[in-house]
Amino acid sequence: MMDANPTPHNNHAAANSNAGVAIAQSTPAVETHGLNYYFGQGDLRKQVLFDLNLTFPRGQIAIITGPSGSGKTTFLSLIGALRTIHDGSLKVMGRELVGMNNAQLVEVRRGIGFIFQAHNLFESLTAVQNVEMAVELLGGFGSKRAQAIAMLEQLGLGHRVTYKPNSLSGGQKQRVAIARALVNQPQLILADEPTAALDKESGRDVVTLMQTLAKEQSCTILMVTHDNRILDVADRIINLVDGRLESDTSMRDFVTAHDPKTLDPRMFML
Amino acid sequence: MKTPLAWLNLLHEKTRLLVAIAGVAFAVLLIFMNLGFLGALSLTATQIYSQMNAEIFLRSPQTLEISTTKSFPRERLYQIAGVEGVQQTMPVYVGYQQWRNPETRFSRAMFVYGINPRDPVFTLPELQAPEAIAALQRPNTVFIDRLSRPEFGPQTTGIETESDRRRVEIGGQFTLGGGFASDGTLIVSDQNFLRLFAPRPLNRIDLGLVKLQPGADVEAVKATVRQLLPADVTVLTQEEIIGRDRDFWIGTTSTGFIFSMGVAVSFIVGTVIVYQILYTDISDHLPEYATLKAMGYRSRYLFKIVLQEAVILAVMGYVPGLILSLGLYELTTNATSGGLPMGMTVGRVVFVLLLTVSMCALSGLISVRKVVTADPAEVFS
Repeated sequence: MMDANPTPHNNHAAANSNAGVAIAQSTPAVETHGLNYYFGQGDLRKQVLFDLNLTFPRGQIAIITGPSGSGKTTFLSLIGALRTIHDGSLKVMGRELVGMNNAQLVEVRRGIGFIFQAHNLFESLTAVQNVEMAVELLGGFGSKRAQAIAMLEQLGLGHRVTYKPNSLSGGQKQRVAIARALVNQPQLILADEPTAALDKESGRDVVTLMQTLAKEQSCTILMVTHDNRILDVADRIINLVDGRLESDTSMRDFVTAHDPKTLDPRMFML
Repeated sequence: MKTPLAWLNLLHEKTRLLVAIAGVAFAVLLIFMNLGFLGALSLTATQIYSQMNAEIFLRSPQTLEISTTKSFPRERLYQIAGVEGVQQTMPVYVGYQQWRNPETRFSRAMFVYGINPRDPVFTLPELQAPEAIAALQRPNTVFIDRLSRPEFGPQTTGIETESDRRRVEIGGQFTLGGGFASDGTLIVSDQNFLRLFAPRPLNRIDLGLVKLQPGADVEAVKATVRQLLPADVTVLTQEEIIGRDRDFWIGTTSTGFIFSMGVAVSFIVGTVIVYQILYTDISDHLPEYATLKAMGYRSRYLFKIVLQEAVILAVMGYVPGLILSLGLYELTTNATSGGLPMGMTVGRVVFVLLLTVSMCALSGLISVRKVVTADPAEVFS
C-alpha cells in the first residue's frame, strides 16, 4: 500500500485524468500514525481515539463501521480537518494536519468533499445555487453555473436545477448535497451516514452514484455508516470499537467471514 | 457574481422580513419624531430672535430664556445709544397674563410682549403699518398671534375679553409662533403693558435690543458696549442669544432630556428588533452555516453575510420610516397650527440613515458571535 515513488502528486492532473491513471498516484490519500484524540480538558479529559495506524490509498472506497460512541465520526471529522489535532500524525493528501492552525485547516477543507446525514442545503437557494456555493470557494465565478448544472445532470437532476430544497424529495436533496460535495472534483470525499435519512431505494441510488463518480474521478471515499445494505460498494471495511481499531478487512474477507456457511461452529457453543 | 446569500436568506422568509422591516421602520419613525421635536424646539427658540430687528441683545445675567427673564435698568440702553455704529436701542418687556377665552370664559396663561409701537422691534410688516401702530397705541388694545392655540378663542379684531381682570380689545393680528414657552402670544404697547402688569415700572426692562447702522461691525460694537456697561447686563449677538436659549431648552429642561432619551430608547428598540430577527435567522440556518465552514468558508465570510443582512434590513426599514415621518411632521405642524414647526433637514435625513445602519450593524455584531463560533465539526452528528 505504501508506495515509495517520490513523484509529487498533482491534484488537477488527477482530477482531469481517467481512473486508471489516477490510481497510479503515489501519496496515499489519508495516512495516520499513532493518532490519539482527546475530548475535554484537565480532569474531564477523555481519550476517544487510541493509536490509530491506517493508510488509505487513492481511489479506495472505505467504510468505517462500529457501535455508537466508537469514535468513528470523530475520526472522520479529524480527517476532514474540522478539529485541531495535537497527538500523532495525520496526513491528508500528503499534508500533515497535526499542528496546523485554523486558517491552514480551512485550506485543507477546500480540497475535501463533505456529505452529511442531513443534507444541510440552504432553503433559500435553488439546487443549482446551493451547488454554486461550493464552486465559488475556488473562485470559478464565470463558469460556476455551467459546472453546477453539469454536476446536477450527472446526478440525474437536470430537470430540477431551479427547484428549491422544499420542492425536492429526500433522495433528490441528498443528491444535490452530493453534487455540492463533488462539483469541485475533490480527491477525498468524507460521508457521514449519507443514506440514513433515505429509503432503501434512494439510499442505494445515492451510494451507486457516489461509487460511479468516485471511480470516474478516481477519488477516495471514506464513509461512516450503519447501513448494511450498502456495504458491498466498499473496497475495505474498518471496524472501530471504543476508539481502537477492531478489524480492517478487504471486502472479500468480510463477506467470507460473515457467510453463515463458514461460521465457526464454536460460536454457538455456549 | 457571488450568490447573494444574505439577500436570498432574508427574502426566503417573507413574513419575517416584513416584520423586520416594520420593526426597523418603527424605530426610524420614533427617532425621526424625537429629533423632529428637538429640532422644532431649537427652531422656536431661534424663531423669536430672528424675527427681532436687532443685531445685539442685552439681558440680565440671571435671565434663562425669553420667558424666564430678570429685569435690568432701562438706563443701560441710554448709556450705549451714542456708541459709534448704533442706530437705535429698543426696550422690550415680557410677562404672562391670564387670558380669558371670550367664548368659553376659561382663562389660560398668555405670553405678552410690551414694546414701544413706534420702535421696529419685530420685522413683521403687519406691525409696521401706520394703522397698526395707531391701533397698538389705543388704551387697552392688544394684538394677538394667529398661531396661538385655538383654546384662547376667536381672534377677530374688535372682540373684547379680560386679561387679568382688565377689559382689553383685540386690535389686530400678527404671525409669530410661541414655541415651547407659550401657547399663545400677545403684543401690546409699553403703556398698555404698564396697565396690564401694574405695578411694574417701565424703567426696568427685560430685553434690550440694539439695532446697528448698516455695515457696522457687530463684534466691534459689541466689545464697546460690553466695555461701557456694568456687569448687571449680558451683551449677546443674535447668534449667541439663540444659542443660549437653545442650550437652555435642550440641555437644562426635561423637554430636551425627554426627546434625547426618546432617540436613545428608539435606537435600543430598533437594535433589539433587528437582533431578534438576525438571531432567529442564524439559529435556523446554523447547520447550513456550519456546513459552509466545513466546506472551507472562513468565519469572515459568514460575518459578512450577517452584516449584509443587517444593512439590507436597515435600508429597507429606513425608507418607509422616512416617508411615514414626513407625513407625521406635516401632521404635527398642522396640529399645533404651525407652533411646532417640524421640518425635515438634509442633515437629519443623513444622520438618521447612519444611525439606522449603525443600529442594525450593532445588532449584527451581537448576533454574529453565534455563527462565527459555530463548530464545523458539529455537522457530523
